[in-house]
Amino acid sequence: MDDNDTTSQSSYEGSTTPPPLAGHPPALTRMATVGNIPQGTKAPFDIVQTYHRLLREDPDLTMPVAAIEALIELLVQSRAVTVFETLDLVKTQSDYLKSRIPNSISLSAGTDLFQRYMISSLKPSSTGNFDSVRQHLLSNGRLFVSRAKAGRERIANYGRNFVRDGSVVLTHGGSRVVGALLSKAAEASASGGNVRFNVIYVMNDARSHESKSVVSALRAKGVPVAIIPEGAVGYAMGKVNLVIVGAEGVVENGGIISRLGTYQIALLAKAAGKPFYVAAESHKFVRLYPLGQYDLGIDQEVIKFETEDEEETSHNDVEAKFTDSTPRVLERMDYFGDVKPNSAVDAVDFTPPALVSALITESGVLTPSAVSEELISVWY
Amino acid sequence: MSSSEATPVESPKPVEAPPKQSQPDAAPKLSGAEIKKQKAAEKAARRAQAAKEKQGGAPAPPLASPAPAQKGDGPKAQKSQQKRRGSMSTPKDIPIRSQKGIVVIPEEPKKEDKTVEFFRHLYKPRMKGLAGAGKDAHPAVLALGIQMSNYSICGSSARLVATLQAFKRVIESYTTPPGNTLTRHLTSHVLSPQIEYIASCRPISISMGNAIRWLKLEISKVDIDTPEADAKKALCEGIDVFIRERVTFADQVIANSAAEKIRDGDVILTYAKSSIVQHALVKAHEDGKKFGVIVVDSRPLHEGKHLAAALAGLGIEVKYCLTNGLSHNIQDATKVFLGAHAMMSNGRLFSRAGTALVAMEANDNDKPVLVLCETIKFTERVALDSIVHNEIAPPDELVITGGALEAWRDIPHLQLCNPMYDVTPAEYIQMIVTESGNVPPTSVPVLHRLGNESQG
Repeated sequence: MDDNDTTSQSSYEGSTTPPPLAGHPPALTRMATVGNIPQGTKAPFDIVQTYHRLLREDPDLTMPVAAIEALIELLVQSRAVTVFETLDLVKTQSDYLKSRIPNSISLSAGTDLFQRYMISSLKPSSTGNFDSVRQHLLSNGRLFVSRAKAGRERIANYGRNFVRDGSVVLTHGGSRVVGALLSKAAEASASGGNVRFNVIYVMNDARSHESKSVVSALRAKGVPVAIIPEGAVGYAMGKVNLVIVGAEGVVENGGIISRLGTYQIALLAKAAGKPFYVAAESHKFVRLYPLGQYDLGIDQEVIKFETEDEEETSHNDVEAKFTDSTPRVLERMDYFGDVKPNSAVDAVDFTPPALVSALITESGVLTPSAVSEELISVWY
Repeated sequence: MSSSEATPVESPKPVEAPPKQSQPDAAPKLSGAEIKKQKAAEKAARRAQAAKEKQGGAPAPPLASPAPAQKGDGPKAQKSQQKRRGSMSTPKDIPIRSQKGIVVIPEEPKKEDKTVEFFRHLYKPRMKGLAGAGKDAHPAVLALGIQMSNYSICGSSARLVATLQAFKRVIESYTTPPGNTLTRHLTSHVLSPQIEYIASCRPISISMGNAIRWLKLEISKVDIDTPEADAKKALCEGIDVFIRERVTFADQVIANSAAEKIRDGDVILTYAKSSIVQHALVKAHEDGKKFGVIVVDSRPLHEGKHLAAALAGLGIEVKYCLTNGLSHNIQDATKVFLGAHAMMSNGRLFSRAGTALVAMEANDNDKPVLVLCETIKFTERVALDSIVHNEIAPPDELVITGGALEAWRDIPHLQLCNPMYDVTPAEYIQMIVTESGNVPPTSVPVLHRLGNESQG
């Protein structure tokens, strides 16, 4: 270990391993011991770029899966020769990736799962032939990715049964799972089944492009879609039979973290007594337990108090705006000052489990409390 | 009405049963219920007489039977109405009734039952001293019992650890009698009397029950062929490991993860005193978090005073109030930390009486409630209310010397109720912090099962 420490101290220059930082998180300091990032002939491997590239290349890819794929690519290129090195590398790079993405909740589900999987498959007993272990790991990792992608199809198959003939479904956001679910339900009606349903889509003006594509995809399938602004959800709730939304992350108590506005829809649905379903793959289960909206572990600039004169200065100096605004919750900001907190456009909110009727996952339809059991069984 | 009905039955009676002569005078003015009782008594007496003098008693049964039949004829509602009207309109009834009570029951007025009816099944005489302790009780256990009954060892975890340590002493000083084996003899002949004695000092807590079950299992697993010294050593080491893993280490893990939940600027409200909550708050303070604490406390134990003093001594800003200041102070709090006596399988929290009130207030004010609880305190039992299972502390603890209640035993119709615990509904609890992670209340049975599997 000591040896490793000294070598790593000097090898930050060429590597993308973040330098050890004083204070917390101590994990970063401790884990940043291995500087064996592939520094091949080409440009050094950058996990953040890889992650972004993967997301760009495949629009169907979810954030956790992209994170896992990025980590697999990292493993392919790494020259780690021991189990410990590999684990250390993945841990360091995961933390680094998380720190570079403003909203790391969804992504951390993937990196945590992958690390967990590695620890369980890289048992000390299997250290005999590291190369075969690594091959096994890589092939299984790929299998995991392909399974995760297939999960969406299974969710759609489970979820379509919730959409009954003549029902009105309210949804919002650009969740691909919900899109798949609704088009699956629509397809059934095209192929002779008589499930005719209407969709009320809650439009978010800041993301109108995404919204429009979802709406046009549904309309192309012959589903009548009404578009309402976010302010009309309460008004429209009386006509709605069920609400289906997607999620960025499903947290330990069965609540969800999702696009800003989900919480209020859930509250309105509860008040009106309408079922509120969440369609999410089980790789979105995050080891996070928020106690409320401001306990998500990320920094969001949703509520900004300003006066006239403050506004001027903030327009002039963007940097000053970031430092002067509400106190930061997250330590991470002190280390990577260039990561912008979530603006209102990308922001998420937390929907507590009491408002969720059921979660439609590829392993079945779960109650919120079943999520915690599922997570316990994975992690213990 | 009913009393007039009774007279024809009553009048031939003196002829047959001379010893009951005093009754006819009182009978016409009796209320229906009294008459029913009286008649039942008479009937029994007559039957007894009939049994004695087989011939003379023969006419009695036919006379007794028409009375209940007549009574049953009238519509019930009407009768009860009449009864009520009768008792209310004629205030004479009341003095006569009491007079009659004295006449019929010749013994002097019974001492009033000073236990509260709902909780009557929970009253247990509590051993206060060494007197009455069985000869089997080990000295360490005797001391522990007294410490428990006077609350000098208080709190679920402290009692658990103290009990296990006392049992360790018991096991150390144990020698297997000839012709017996440790496995078969220790539990039934040595350990059971100790447990009995401790339970007589204060009822066994859930965590103690779990630990005792574990210890008995360990003893039963000892191989018969193991030499006694080795077996004893193994058991004592096992107890040490158990305490370390399930209590000491668990406390550290819980304190760490609870401290993580505390942010700068938080105000943590807590109720009474829980050692684990104290650990967590101290840990957060050591980590350099800037936060305040509100300690809500209640009579009669005033456990929160110790917590408030300990935290204030460390330089944490502490506010102390009793439950009457709860609804005001809860508004300043940002999170509520609660200790536990036990977590029930339906996700309910069983803790010091008053906890449910704090949790309810917190829920009303939209403050998250966190329960800090080791998995050793989880139980497979469920609790729907705090009446079926509870512990009643001596009611005299509520009395302030020199206060108005000092002579409460002499005041008729006054009972004091001093339950130790109450049950907090699962809906009021946002999170349970355990050594195996943070879980919602619905996951209690899952964790309990996992804990037992690893134990078994």
